Amino acid sequence: MFDFRFYEIWRSQDYIDTLILGVWNSFWLTVVGSFFGITLGILLALAQGREMPLWLRIPAVSYVEFIRNTPFIVQLFFVVFGLPLLLGYAWSLEASVVLAIALNFSAYFGEVIRAGIQSVPAGQSEGAMALGMSRWQTIRDVILPQAIAKVFPSMTSQFVFLFLTTGLVSEIGVKDLTWAGRYVADRTFRDFEVFIVLTILYMGMVYLFKGGFALMFRAAFPWWGKSR
Amino acid sequence: MIQSQAAPQQASDDIAVTLKGVNKWYGDFQVLRDINLTVQRGERIVICGPSGSGKSTLIRCINHLESHQEGTITVDGVTLSDKMKDVEKLRRDAGMVFQNFNLFPHLSVLDNCILPQRRVLKRSKAEAREVGMKFLTRVRIPEQADKFPGQLSGGQQQRVAIARALCMEPSLMLFDEPTSALDPEMVGEVLETMVELAGTGMTMLCVTHEMGFAREVADRVIFMDAWQIVEENTPDAFFDNPQNERTQNFLSQIL
Repeated sequence: MFDFRFYEIWRSQDYIDTLILGVWNSFWLTVVGSFFGITLGILLALAQGREMPLWLRIPAVSYVEFIRNTPFIVQLFFVVFGLPLLLGYAWSLEASVVLAIALNFSAYFGEVIRAGIQSVPAGQSEGAMALGMSRWQTIRDVILPQAIAKVFPSMTSQFVFLFLTTGLVSEIGVKDLTWAGRYVADRTFRDFEVFIVLTILYMGMVYLFKGGFALMFRAAFPWWGKSR
Repeated sequence: MIQSQAAPQQASDDIAVTLKGVNKWYGDFQVLRDINLTVQRGERIVICGPSGSGKSTLIRCINHLESHQEGTITVDGVTLSDKMKDVEKLRRDAGMVFQNFNLFPHLSVLDNCILPQRRVLKRSKAEAREVGMKFLTRVRIPEQADKFPGQLSGGQQQRVAIARALCMEPSLMLFDEPTSALDPEMVGEVLETMVELAGTGMTMLCVTHEMGFAREVADRVIFMDAWQIVEENTPDAFFDNPQNERTQNFLSQIL
């Protein structure tokens, strides 16, 4: 029987601090990346609308296809190391990583939101436009709120999935939770225990996020499910 | 008791809508054929005919939810075209009530009335709320103001849709089969609202199969078949003495 020695991890304040920092870094990278990712995703979804001009639709579709059919790690390397070479200008590591995450998330969120927009009945925009509302007002005030409500559960699970992929940023030295785990494991040689702790921490964060999303849903969409 | 715009009694202002030689196609398929129609201000017109005859397409062209390819449509002196700039102004002048209500499910009944006033007429929140409550009261549904549309019956939802359209103070109201999606026991309350609206002098174009309503309210009944206007007459003449064979067939089937 394997001899579990979790105390090897707790023994050092340095290890505990590193893990806490990792939790925090993974948390904020995901939240900030998602904020920009969802914003960009909404724009990508709108740009692919049937009534949009081709010069907008084709780049949007191509972008989404490219992001979703290439590995995140490659995109990460490109944004963090390749882009500065091409532009001759480098941002901070944090900014580059957030950018890479946002660009990646946006394609996935965009597809989910696009499905939501398509599921809103055509009568809704006709109703709005018949009242004299402009195209943009109709999208913002009538279509998007309903679209996002409809796909909110899908967006939550997409969010969890994307959160779990952020572990890859440890590959370039970002001190996220996965990086912290490796840091502790390398110094204690207790890899098995460390990764059990990591698993629990990731799962705990997932449930935290899910709880947050459930609260947001209730606050943002009080009308949902209200029928006779 | 529903307020309407007092129409200035000048000859040029007496005409609300004109259609001249209107033709429309979906691809190769013609859906409107040489439609000619003049609607006087304050006139109430009922359009009926078999399904697929072009009735809905016709009134959807009047507020430019659909565009036509030939002929001219003029609403309140404005000629419609795909290039027109103020299509929003036209749509605000021509209120529309749909078969499926098209209320916004994510907004309360009152907010359904407030949102377009805020966005289109740029009214203050307080004013929009006041106007909204005024028209919800007129359609006898003020107590439902804070509920969501999904919590109302079909008849109540359609009355909200009428109130919402009236909040924009249109000079013309278009009804696209407003009672066709309703359970039979709810048809009456919506028709009653429409009769009251007619009593205020509102110009109305109604696509409906409610022949009792047509007889009571309409100044003119228009019968469409095969994408054109086949017969046009006062309700009494139309129902008691239809001229066209297709009209006679239609009436014998529905009456």
